Amino acid sequence: MQQNHTQLADDSYFAAVTNAIRTETTKLLSEGTVAAVIGYQAGTRAGTVIPTIITDAAKAGDLVFSPGCVNNLALYLTKAKKEVRPAGKVAIIAKGCDMRALAGLLGESQLKREELHIIGVACVGVKGAGAGSGEALTTGTIARKCRECTVRAPEGADVVVGAVPPLPEFSPVEAEELARLEAMTPAERWAFWKGHFSRCIRCMACRQVCPFCYCEQCLCDRNRPQALETTPRPAGNMAWHIVRAMHLAGRCAGCTECERACPMDIPLNLLNRKMARELKTLYDFEAGLVPVEKGPLTEYREEDDQSFIK
Amino acid sequence: MEHDFEPKIVAFVCTWCTYAGADLAGTSRMQYPSNVRVLKFPCTGRIDPVFILRAFQKGTDGVLVSGCHPGDCHYMAGNFHARRRFAAFRQLLEFIGVDLNRLQFSWVSAAEGGKWVEVVTELTERVRAMGPMVEFKELEMEEHWSGKLDSPELKEAYQNI
Ligand code: SF4
Ligand code: SF4
Ligand code: SF4
Ligand code: FES
Repeated sequence: MQQNHTQLADDSYFAAVTNAIRTETTKLLSEGTVAAVIGYQAGTRAGTVIPTIITDAAKAGDLVFSPGCVNNLALYLTKAKKEVRPAGKVAIIAKGCDMRALAGLLGESQLKREELHIIGVACVGVKGAGAGSGEALTTGTIARKCRECTVRAPEGADVVVGAVPPLPEFSPVEAEELARLEAMTPAERWAFWKGHFSRCIRCMACRQVCPFCYCEQCLCDRNRPQALETTPRPAGNMAWHIVRAMHLAGRCAGCTECERACPMDIPLNLLNRKMARELKTLYDFEAGLVPVEKGPLTEYREEDDQSFIK
Repeated sequence: MEHDFEPKIVAFVCTWCTYAGADLAGTSRMQYPSNVRVLKFPCTGRIDPVFILRAFQKGTDGVLVSGCHPGDCHYMAGNFHARRRFAAFRQLLEFIGVDLNRLQFSWVSAAEGGKWVEVVTELTERVRAMGPMVEFKELEMEEHWSGKLDSPELKEAYQNI
């Protein structure tokens, strides 16, 4: 099927964001405001990027921003590389969706706002699954999450870099998929998820990449007593996915890093979104808008719905 | 009365109210289906959704979760927290494709022996009419590659063990 895809944002947008990030980084590091800046640098193949931590102002020129900057760097504050935090205040590059993760982590007391300097990116979007590293950001290559993004202009950052050019209307691919699933019979949904979960190889990439899966010991790794089977058999996989969705309900920032990291292309964000929507309907809660101490599943109201309880 | 199918029902109950209620039903010599296996917890707040999954995986056909009425929780708010957690968990299970008629929540106080009998009887009969819960049991039997271990070579190898 041949379709015409329009390019979103020309190179000048990305060049402007990159420059602003470099200028800010040089300023922060040379003035000693922060000890490190967490950002992206060019990867070995053209068009790819890798997360990086810069501590020397002279290296600010390594930082880039491109449609390949998919990673949610909030991960580097809670899990991977968390040893950078004791070094002092840390600056982090955050797209709108990454900001939601930061807000969630602040609310859960995993981070302190005064120890962070947030460089927010007014975001056009990043490339999704299947887009080649050399391809431009177009209506065809943009990530599913970005098609329905509501946080392009990040709020609550210390500085915001870039300006979002006018964008076309995107068809909400993921919302349509969610609606399609919801319209199925329970047996069809079971078959859908069983098919997907049975392919899961339990590599745990989805957990490792999630900024909110920061438990020192995951329930899923425990063996005395064992809460769920750890081998990649369909039964244990089903349990793992239910547990994952449940533990992230009301917390997930919708960065879709889990889905991106999954080597088996399991549509994890459909579960995340479903739970987010149910909690919005039930308790009028939306994760990651502002840091709040208690999420929908750690607080309660006496008058909460209990029509399902006899 | 003889039935073709006797469902297994697991009841996760809090020790302070529902367990005492079930006890009252017993000491008052009320009759209720022996299909119910009662598991006692300190509070509904201690009942993790993963227990429910485990029960289904290990072969139960229906699950009951029951505790103190709102306001009566021995630990003040355990049941309020549980109420939210299970409200969310139900939606998740439904989205995965589990029939929620197999899962019942109730508040049964220490004085409500009659209500206990009513709740467990209703759930047992409802699940009996639905038949066995096959989905989780089938999963339990499946291997990752989802192929059948019945090629002639494998059969022969198996016979030779
Ligand atoms: S979801 Fe929004 S903020 Fe996140 S990468 Fe896409 S467009 Fe940017
Ligand atoms: S569950 Fe997935 S989408 Fe949600 S915060 Fe974690 S990695 Fe991001
Ligand atoms: S990343 Fe994918 S394959 Fe790996 S454990 Fe998660 S869902 Fe399974
Ligand atoms: S003690 Fe019974 S529900 Fe908390």
